Amino acid sequence: MSSKYYLPEDKAPLPPVNAEVLTTCCDYCIVACGYKVYRWPVGTADGGPQAHENALKVSFPSGPLQAWVAPTQHNVVMHDGRPHNVVILPDKEAQAVNLTGDSSIRGGCIAQKVYNPNKPTRDRLMSPMIRINGTLQPVSWDMALDVATEVMKHVVEKHGANAYGMKTYLYQYIENTYAISKFALRHMNTANFAFHDTPSDVTSTPGFRDAGFENFAPSYQDWAAAETLLIAGTDPYETKTILFNQFIKPAIDAGQKTVWLNVRETAGIAYAKSRGNALFLQIDPGTDTPVLGAILRVILENGWEDKEWIEKWVNNQWASDSGFGQGTRNTPWQWRTTWGQFQTKGFEDYKQWNLAQKEYDPKEAAKIANIDPTDIYKAAEMLAKPKADGSRVKASFAIEKGFYWSNNTGNTNAVATLATVCGAGGRPGQMVGRLGGHQRGYQSGGAYPRNKSPQKHAGRRRQSMDCDRYFYAGHTRFAHVIGTTWIQAMCGSAGLNAKFEEQVTNNPHQVRSFDKQEIIDTLKARADSGGTVVLNQEIYLRDPIGSRFADIVLPAATWGESDFIRANGERRIRLYSKFYDAPGDAKPDWWIMAELGKRMGFDGFDWKDANQVCEESSRFSRTGPKAYHMLKVAAHAEGKTLHEKLRELGTTGIQGPTFYNYKTGELLGSKRLHDTTLTPEQMEAEGRSMATNMVNKKGTHFNSQSGKVNIQKHPWSLFSDYWEWMKPKGDELWHTNGRINEVWQSGFDDVDRRAYIAQRWPENWTEIHPDDAAARGIESGDQLMLYSERVPNLRQSIKAQDDTDFSFASRLKNGWIELNKAAVTAVAIVTPHVKKGTLYSYYLNTNQPSNALQGRVPDQISGNYSFKMGVARVKKIGESKYKSEFRSMSFAPRNIV
Amino acid sequence: MSDLIKKDESAAGHAQCMLNRRQFLMYTGTTAAAVSTISLNLFPGEAQAKARVVGYPRQHIGKLSQLKENIPLDFNYPDENRNSQCFVVKMDGAKAGGGVGPQRDVVAFSYLCTHQGGFMNGKYQAVGEHRVLGQCPLHLSTYDLTRHGIIVSGQAYQSIPQVLLELDGDDIYAVGVMGLLFGRNQNLMESQES
Repeated sequence: MSSKYYLPEDKAPLPPVNAEVLTTCCDYCIVACGYKVYRWPVGTADGGPQAHENALKVSFPSGPLQAWVAPTQHNVVMHDGRPHNVVILPDKEAQAVNLTGDSSIRGGCIAQKVYNPNKPTRDRLMSPMIRINGTLQPVSWDMALDVATEVMKHVVEKHGANAYGMKTYLYQYIENTYAISKFALRHMNTANFAFHDTPSDVTSTPGFRDAGFENFAPSYQDWAAAETLLIAGTDPYETKTILFNQFIKPAIDAGQKTVWLNVRETAGIAYAKSRGNALFLQIDPGTDTPVLGAILRVILENGWEDKEWIEKWVNNQWASDSGFGQGTRNTPWQWRTTWGQFQTKGFEDYKQWNLAQKEYDPKEAAKIANIDPTDIYKAAEMLAKPKADGSRVKASFAIEKGFYWSNNTGNTNAVATLATVCGAGGRPGQMVGRLGGHQRGYQSGGAYPRNKSPQKHAGRRRQSMDCDRYFYAGHTRFAHVIGTTWIQAMCGSAGLNAKFEEQVTNNPHQVRSFDKQEIIDTLKARADSGGTVVLNQEIYLRDPIGSRFADIVLPAATWGESDFIRANGERRIRLYSKFYDAPGDAKPDWWIMAELGKRMGFDGFDWKDANQVCEESSRFSRTGPKAYHMLKVAAHAEGKTLHEKLRELGTTGIQGPTFYNYKTGELLGSKRLHDTTLTPEQMEAEGRSMATNMVNKKGTHFNSQSGKVNIQKHPWSLFSDYWEWMKPKGDELWHTNGRINEVWQSGFDDVDRRAYIAQRWPENWTEIHPDDAAARGIESGDQLMLYSERVPNLRQSIKAQDDTDFSFASRLKNGWIELNKAAVTAVAIVTPHVKKGTLYSYYLNTNQPSNALQGRVPDQISGNYSFKMGVARVKKIGESKYKSEFRSMSFAPRNIV
Repeated sequence: MSDLIKKDESAAGHAQCMLNRRQFLMYTGTTAAAVSTISLNLFPGEAQAKARVVGYPRQHIGKLSQLKENIPLDFNYPDENRNSQCFVVKMDGAKAGGGVGPQRDVVAFSYLCTHQGGFMNGKYQAVGEHRVLGQCPLHLSTYDLTRHGIIVSGQAYQSIPQVLLELDGDDIYAVGVMGLLFGRNQNLMESQES
């Protein structure tokens, strides 16, 4: 018996003094640490161990926190057609983000991401391919692009724009997303458009949107400056490591109190608890709303609300309605904020509503969440009880996917209201926001054509299209998939996979010819017969979307292979430098979109380089939270390009929105949004209001008509029918999923292609509490089957007449929910750090996708999936080799301090 | 010496990962060479990963009979220079990859976290059946000492380097290191390599 493992190397080359140095940032999590790439030709001398002999200016052996090169930080790439060494290290001189040159395990090993034919990245896509006789075969760019565009044109002409569907990443650099969305939204103008993490084009956090909060308004210093920090649905140590290590951990060490809502206790939570100032509410999945509602109740009953803040910054009903008149209210935030289900007449009205809800009684809430009710009182005290001198606690509120992907609308409404009542949202150390997943790399090149979506809630409440359901219905005749697995990344993924087989593989119209026109005709016939043609842009051939379903595959260039820009979780914009040649014929997605656009006959797709795309996109960023338009203005004033200007700013970059002082030539960033401490006089004195600078309301106020916060209701009843139905029955357990520090959501790089990480996490796994394991005769290392016959799948109903038509109960009663079966296998990790009664799996092992078990019922208000909600039964089917060998995996709990 | 070659009957895969220097050398068939490498296929068709076992000194670090259960004994290896702080520990019957002794529970590792060089003296922990090193005081990494020092949770760029051991009667010898010690560009510094 043998398994994947690596033997660590015991030496690494040091960059020589004359190595070229380029700056970039980590490609992975939202925090985006600054990195330096040291590059020198293979065959020239490496650096020596003395400080004057190497580019790091450090003598080796180096000491704690000093620069060091681990073997995983070195690689060999082609640059200008010649092999070069690269050493990629977190920037020891970083002035922002990863201060002290800190990094996570993911970024720390990012040198292993680059293409190297002698390493596990050797299977990068190198050439365009078309599936002929069932096999993907290399073809020229011209042929692949011609075939794709001829079929696209036909589909749109014959079946309408919505028959062309696009499923794309939201995050992989401004230049790419701008070109992609310009193509799909502005020109194709399809409503069949969704990002990698949702079935519809919707906001991730409806409650924030409707209250008036930007997701990424706070700066990282704000999280550190809070006296009490509530963190719901994530452990930032695991998934936003450096935000925790460099900002939150030092704050905890200095006495910051933390309140955590999570189903499992991982290293960051365990550490906070060990410091004695943390409260851990280990709730059952999906029960955050009752818990936050009950915390609010305790605050209200004690009169601990921030009266001054509420008086000054909370809308009454007139103010929340202002600007709408009796006219259209057909964008989601408009109809939600003016709908009686959520809208209040102001604080007092909210208070009366909260006090009247039985589930916000702390005892009742604690029962639902399966926690100790006294913890609800403790949380309320930590967040809002005035200090002995009468002053308020500075509280901030941070959320992420465990929270907003369970009860999307209810939870985000509840936390927005709680934050507002505590006086948070618009002051240093008193902020509210997401901690983030992917980096912020989206700049829209066109508006979503909402009126073309067939879906609507009761009244004139138009919703974005649920593209998965549209696909299930057989309406998507051309599926354009960019940088996502689509199938495994969505809920109820087994059903989606089966539908793809039906639409694509089992359709009789398969390409059997090498003749271009015959290929085009065959694929057109496929679409006309009711089948689907699949175009996939990717860096690796993914299974099944690429390997089994794609008719055309286009190889994409990525991080390090083109200059790109992107913002992080505090809106910090940096340049990600190209430092090596893309593999084979791979091209960045903006280039691919340009070639497709030109062939479609669209204007405005004739970009020569990435900077041109970036400069074109900048003016559309001006109303957004990461507005980078003034970077271009400053660059042009200095005779530079936007990319050149940003390159000068290195790993520090600049926080959007950006401003330019025309008098002094100074470029200015924005530390936080909604900064109510900024005055117009200050803004003017700094030159932020001159000429083409755009002072957006969100800079100093909130995203509502009035600029004040909408305090909203968060009815549990919108979700409780689904939650009650799903609640484990018989021997079922809750089944939830999420990221793990060592893999995060970059599995295509690290778990698939890094020996070190592959050894740590060689297979799918699930965490199970010792009591649940004992009851089922399960031990760590056992091979398990997780299975369910209760995977609800919303298949019908697109228009609601009454408010309750889209409730889960109504849909179930009306037969609009289909129950599917699903099963995945996993290796058991028996551990007390997961809540009893709950299984926790990795969210996306593409071979054993745990999303197969999660209910495919989008949030009835917002359209997001409740990825975290599922149930499963579990049985032992054997023993994995990891149980008896002592090399791979580890079954040690993650909360050992 | 019979302990070294005795296979673990309960698990076929167990003995295979119980690498010690002797078996390293036996694999390569170059027992006399001062410098040898072992090649292992990680992914089919991959270039081979190489682990050097280069002229490491054979250093006496203690006696098995003197080790107290779960109490680490400190030593320096492979030299007395910076970043050579290591420990050997008998893990109270917890079998380990690379473990020596009748219970295969005697292992040795570097004390320096391979993330940023945090010193993890005093951070050996026995928690139930688990044996870990950590959390590192700098950034909270923990390592599983029963599995060649693989990361449990944390940010390290590689497993915690394992010191390869040989047992000769009651005497424990350090004979090599798997993985680069934090802060070094090579484990055997130029001046020591001969």
